[in-house]
Amino acid sequence: MNIQIHPTANFTLSSRNPRIFFLPQFPPNPQKIPKHTYTTKPLFKTLIKCSQTSDSDPPKWDKLLPKNIISADKILRSIAGATSSPICQFISSPTTFLHSVDPRIKLAWLLVLVVIPARTHIYMRFGLITFLATLSVWILPRQVWVDQLGRTALLSGILFLMVGLGADSVPMVVQSRTPPPSMMGLPNIPPSFDGYSYLLFKLGPLQLTRKGLSLASTTACLTFSIFQSASLCLTTTTPEQLAFALQWFMKPLAYVGVPVAEVILTLLLSLRFINLVFDEVRIVALGIVSRRINWKHLATMETVDVFFTYIRRIFKNIFNHAEQITQAMTVRGFRGDSSSHKIYFSSSSSAPIPNMVSLVTLVGLIGAAALSEYILI
Amino acid sequence: MNIRAPIYASTPRYSNLTTRNYNAIGADNYAIESRSVSYSIKNERGKVVPIIKDCSLNIPSGQFWMLLGPNGCGKSTLLKILAGLLSPTDGFVYVRKPRSYVFQNPDHQVVMPTVEADVAFGLGRFNLTNDETKLRVAKALTAVGMYDYLQRPVQTLSGGQKQRVAIAGALVEQCKVLLLDELTTFLDETDQLGVIKAVKNTLSSSEDVTALWVTHRLEELEYADGAVYMEDGKVVMHGEPSVIMDSIEARKASYTDNINS
Repeated sequence: MNIQIHPTANFTLSSRNPRIFFLPQFPPNPQKIPKHTYTTKPLFKTLIKCSQTSDSDPPKWDKLLPKNIISADKILRSIAGATSSPICQFISSPTTFLHSVDPRIKLAWLLVLVVIPARTHIYMRFGLITFLATLSVWILPRQVWVDQLGRTALLSGILFLMVGLGADSVPMVVQSRTPPPSMMGLPNIPPSFDGYSYLLFKLGPLQLTRKGLSLASTTACLTFSIFQSASLCLTTTTPEQLAFALQWFMKPLAYVGVPVAEVILTLLLSLRFINLVFDEVRIVALGIVSRRINWKHLATMETVDVFFTYIRRIFKNIFNHAEQITQAMTVRGFRGDSSSHKIYFSSSSSAPIPNMVSLVTLVGLIGAAALSEYILI
Repeated sequence: MNIRAPIYASTPRYSNLTTRNYNAIGADNYAIESRSVSYSIKNERGKVVPIIKDCSLNIPSGQFWMLLGPNGCGKSTLLKILAGLLSPTDGFVYVRKPRSYVFQNPDHQVVMPTVEADVAFGLGRFNLTNDETKLRVAKALTAVGMYDYLQRPVQTLSGGQKQRVAIAGALVEQCKVLLLDELTTFLDETDQLGVIKAVKNTLSSSEDVTALWVTHRLEELEYADGAVYMEDGKVVMHGEPSVIMDSIEARKASYTDNINS
């Protein structure tokens, strides 16, 4: 086997360890240095250790390169420092208007808010965003809505810009089938008398057209409404109430053999289990971080090995949790039949006035969305 | 669970129960009774390893007893046998029904995402109305001082609060016997006291409820009506907490002397 070795490197040959260690630095001028070729015996039991001589300074450009952006230590530290609470968890107090709305109405709202952005006029889309933002500010505690609205608005804004400017700015790869009017001796299409223009805005190669605006507003509005409405629903509804609403909507499916009770119980157990998984991932990472592993001294395969140990440990603990929870369910009277074990969803009943207001607003929104396509052209 | 098996005449090495606590109590007044209970497992090599060896104990009805002993002496295994989670290899076990078992780690006991639904989980098999369930959940949560947390997601609670929710989940079934497995292991001093007091309050407010509390913290003995001390899978002592405490202290002193000499 042939190995090409740089002459400025020192080597330590060991007959026991097959790993090869390389330092990340490069020689100052690799082109001028002749290469020597050594022929050695098979390397199965050889350790080659390379180190750089003191007179070889790294080039200037090497200093400018960012290093250690992603490292095992940083990844584990960020996991260990993460919050144990999942995003958008139920906020029990202060009790707001939305807390008193029936969860079934909330689910209907969620469905409508997913469908409407794609089927309405652009004014309606922006109106919907304003409505959801105002509702979030009104319902959620300040620190929650500032954080959530900021993130959702940023994401939607980026999507709006990228889709809006990218929809028509990219030149066509293939030639249009129809030749332009000038080539055929026809006069150009006259400009619109009422000020209509397909092109709305142009900046260098970037242009915002009507098609781009429509696509961008739909994408941004859909993203914003999905994230924000789900967040509003989750923060004002307990998982059990949501499960109850879902069970109510799924009830007809029981007649065609769908195991609704099992689906609902599985959903509730999963919602409980998510937190345990988050905790487990965080705690095991904390355990590894607290061992103060010197990651710089580990070879790549050793680092990978630590990560595999980490994942193995997480799965082991999760399976242990699952086993214990199964035992607890047995002790607490669950006999394996979801339909005979009644789940108590919640004691908090919905109030009639918020329900009525929500329903009327929902119907009004659907009506306005339907009319907007005819009235606003 | 009622396991009928050959009964062997077996008594603990020391039985110092007072007349008031033991002799005056008829055999029918024991909420928990075990005679010559043994439990063994087979290891990977197929060799039988005894975990519980010839254990006998009697816990009078309506009292708060503690099961003490060093780590690995078989306390939790014995409690699981009493709860019906494990079947003994040999011996006789009687535990008054309904009985409830509370796990050492509350995350293993709490199965629903919200406090209220979790406490009500055990009532699922009784086919109660919503109003009845609501009332019983409220009563159980009030008993452990957690009624204000009715709608709280479980993951937002502290370890002690979760443990109290787990106890409420056991109480809501209106059990006659509470089997509690090292509830205070993961708790700080404040939560430890809170949980013990919650159990004590429950026992004092309801008649005929018996609790057997597994622990290895000696300071918890002062809250107990009686105690059982285990070592190496055997019941070594069985009686009044003060006597057991003195005996353990004497053993500790003798051990310390041996090391220092």
